[in-house]
Amino acid sequence: MSKKNDERFIITIKSNTKDLFAFTKLVPQRKKRIENASAEPITSDPINDIARKLHPERQYLKISEIKEETKSTRTFKLVPDPDSMTTELAYFRPGQYLSLKVKVNGVEITKPYSLASSPKDALHGLYELTIRREEEGFLTHYIWDHWKVGTKVKSSGPEGFFYYEPLRDLKNIVGIAGGSGITPFRSIAKAIIEGLIDAKLTLLYGSSEEDDIIYYKEFKELEKNYPDKFKVVYILSCEKITLEGCEYGFITAGIIEKYCEVKNSSFFICGPQIMYEFVEKEMEKFKLSNKRIRREAFGEIKDVLSFPDFPKELVEKSFKIKVQIGNLINEISALSTESILVAMERANLAPPSKCRSGECGFCRSLLISGDIYISPFSDWRRSADKKFNYFHPCASYPISNLEIKVPRHI
Amino acid sequence: MNTQEKGQVIIDTYDVVVIGAGNGGLAAATQLALNGKKIVLFEQHNLPGGFASSFVRGRFEFETSLHEFGSIGPPSNKGSVRRLFEDRFGLDVEFVAIPEAYRLILTDPSEKLDVTMPFGVENFIEAIEKQVPGSRDSITKFFNIAKEIHGAFRYFGVTKGNPDQGVLMKEYTNFLKTAAYSTKEVEDALNIPEDARKLLNAYWSYIGLPIDRVNFTIFAIMVLVYMEYGAYILKNRSHEYTTAFDVKIRELGGNIEYNTRVEKILVENGKVVGVETSRGDKIKTNHVICNASPTITYNKLIYPKSEVPEIAYKEVNARIHGLTGFCVYLGLDATAEELGLKEYGYFILKKINTEEIYNSWSELQAPGGQAAVVLNVAIPKCSPPGTCIIYITTLFKPEVWKDIKPEQYVDIKNKIAEELIIQFEEATGAPIREHIEEIEVATPVTFARFTRTYNGIIYGYEPESWDSIVPRLMMMGQDKYIKGLEFAGGFGRRAHGYGSTISDGYTSALLTLQELIKEGEGK
Repeated sequence: MSKKNDERFIITIKSNTKDLFAFTKLVPQRKKRIENASAEPITSDPINDIARKLHPERQYLKISEIKEETKSTRTFKLVPDPDSMTTELAYFRPGQYLSLKVKVNGVEITKPYSLASSPKDALHGLYELTIRREEEGFLTHYIWDHWKVGTKVKSSGPEGFFYYEPLRDLKNIVGIAGGSGITPFRSIAKAIIEGLIDAKLTLLYGSSEEDDIIYYKEFKELEKNYPDKFKVVYILSCEKITLEGCEYGFITAGIIEKYCEVKNSSFFICGPQIMYEFVEKEMEKFKLSNKRIRREAFGEIKDVLSFPDFPKELVEKSFKIKVQIGNLINEISALSTESILVAMERANLAPPSKCRSGECGFCRSLLISGDIYISPFSDWRRSADKKFNYFHPCASYPISNLEIKVPRHI
Repeated sequence: MNTQEKGQVIIDTYDVVVIGAGNGGLAAATQLALNGKKIVLFEQHNLPGGFASSFVRGRFEFETSLHEFGSIGPPSNKGSVRRLFEDRFGLDVEFVAIPEAYRLILTDPSEKLDVTMPFGVENFIEAIEKQVPGSRDSITKFFNIAKEIHGAFRYFGVTKGNPDQGVLMKEYTNFLKTAAYSTKEVEDALNIPEDARKLLNAYWSYIGLPIDRVNFTIFAIMVLVYMEYGAYILKNRSHEYTTAFDVKIRELGGNIEYNTRVEKILVENGKVVGVETSRGDKIKTNHVICNASPTITYNKLIYPKSEVPEIAYKEVNARIHGLTGFCVYLGLDATAEELGLKEYGYFILKKINTEEIYNSWSELQAPGGQAAVVLNVAIPKCSPPGTCIIYITTLFKPEVWKDIKPEQYVDIKNKIAEELIIQFEEATGAPIREHIEEIEVATPVTFARFTRTYNGIIYGYEPESWDSIVPRLMMMGQDKYIKGLEFAGGFGRRAHGYGSTISDGYTSALLTLQELIKEGEGK
């Protein structure tokens, strides 16, 4: 062992002198290479250019046409608004949505709407959104009253994960839609017919009224022209049915089995919260694996009281929230039954948001103090965010006074 | 009042502005805040971390880019990054050790190989000797030289970059003698048998430069550090430590502004005087630590352009921009055990010829190699019962992706993803395709989207010998062209990698603190 040091191996690569000389040349050599290089600035960054095309932070749109779809729905055709620097529309995957930013009576709010048009149309500068006028809430009333041809609309890029993924999904797609949840399926149907997606779509479409079925004629036409690619079954829950070939009631396991190859299909569900609860219960009988059922996030929780673990004693309670946003601190009040995002919007703080379902995490904020309720069905927080008290205000409810830190909107 | 509508603007003065909350920016901001400096950290994304992040799909939370962290080590033998995290920064994080170094699978019939390598220098040498009898001596020499290099770096640190030449010559001869050579040149001189090199060089893709081009110093240190300290990941993905940084910075009084991109670094007479952001924030400062690359900084951020010296453009153009990444994230409805996957990390290559594989990344095709991770092997509960998480990574030259049209994008990325999945299935025999519950495919475009790095590059400048960490460190100060501007991150002094970028951010903070002290004395 004592000889170890004597035996120390010294490497020779070229020769002892050359190796040491090479070391002393390292800095001069680097300097020389820099000195000899071009002094031209780099002006192109093509990969970022593609990223901006595919995922623009914002798109400025303009309404070019409005179609009365049913008594309660309208389809808005949207084109780029070059006055605001948008000259082309981002391509998307059928099933994705846009998060619109709308200023209603001075208050800026966001709302996600599924793209109802084909991605191919986007290449030609056209998006279509079909919007249903809702009884509650003020946004759709505002849209009905104010959106005309020429109205400018601010939007996000295409968002969301509710799309057919050939590496995962089977070629038989079963779409289960309720009410205005039909809109993403129009985009998927068009993409199938145009050959963008190699699959077949069977739609089970539940409506509560005959004269409020969206795309009825259009879908009939598609079915007739492409019988091997597209089929729709209408399920009506109203008393009187005059349309032919409809099912009566709700989308039950029986109806699903009657029209679909249950074991050989990928199911896509989009509709109101109450429909998910019903349909998923029905589908439990099939014992399908998770990967065969995709759900679109159903948007804002309509009735947080319907969740059994919500602390009922706090209903109608109002709390104070101290909100740090940028350099400003605002104290706002918030109802326990209203999401923290809504409370902030109401106070005109314009917090960031996109999906309004807890899923995308764009509104991610820091809970400095206080307690919140998060429904287990809308909890897509990262595990470290749970550990460090980061939360998604769009799917969280105040159950005490709070202090939070929120990023400014993009 | 509608403050947000007009775009709330922050007008303020800070000691230091940190641009970008990647590894380098986070470490720098934390150290500065620890020293009581008034700092603001701007990040264009709504999360900290840059590439070090996570995302949720369905029941799964995926790690975005980390395969394994070197320089952590067990609590009994702390590596440099664990010392920084725990002893200096006091971050609340939980590390999990990776059980084995890697499983290397070569699939080409002419070179068929499937071997799992252990951590620990002795174990590793032993394992190579077992595969390739007679290689022990040369591999031992490799590690002895690597240890000497590692020692030399420590000595540089202790002497604050002013080493005694005599000590260097006597104690660190092998460091001096190898510093200017490629890994291949040194391995040739050591007469390491070809078959042994297959095993020894498997980590090369973490630097992303073929063995005949990658400088020996950086390669040897990487292999040594993995072997000596093992490899670790975070219990809650990388997002755990990046958020722990965030929490710590705020706790120390630092300010972090997400969703805010710095668009201008204001320079007057060769000195930083402030920054401006995408939303019009105007910050006065004389110090910026920039986690963006020199490429982006000199070509886009410095304002006015006349303040960018010619030499800065030359430096950027002289250096070789590294590779970008491609990753397939899989949430499977079968356990790793059911799939027969026992190892955490996999290097799957057709052949070991690193140059050939590197060249395969210059075309839009099935790449010649992949690195894959089965996360549940290290963290069994990282996904729900009955499931597991696998991610498969490969690399590309960014140029390959530059002409892709939006309408081709999904088809192209899915085709490559599918080929990677098939490669993995064929190499391991695990049928993963039929178990896909969640899948996400990240391309160079994705990496550009979330970090805005130049051309979506995930690695920094390529560390060939002339531009490896030794000449970079020796030229510290000489290649500083704008007073008050420091860089940190993958394009920084210590090159890319999780450990290096964190250490580099720490160094940048110390350099900035020195400047602040000097200015204080000047007053």
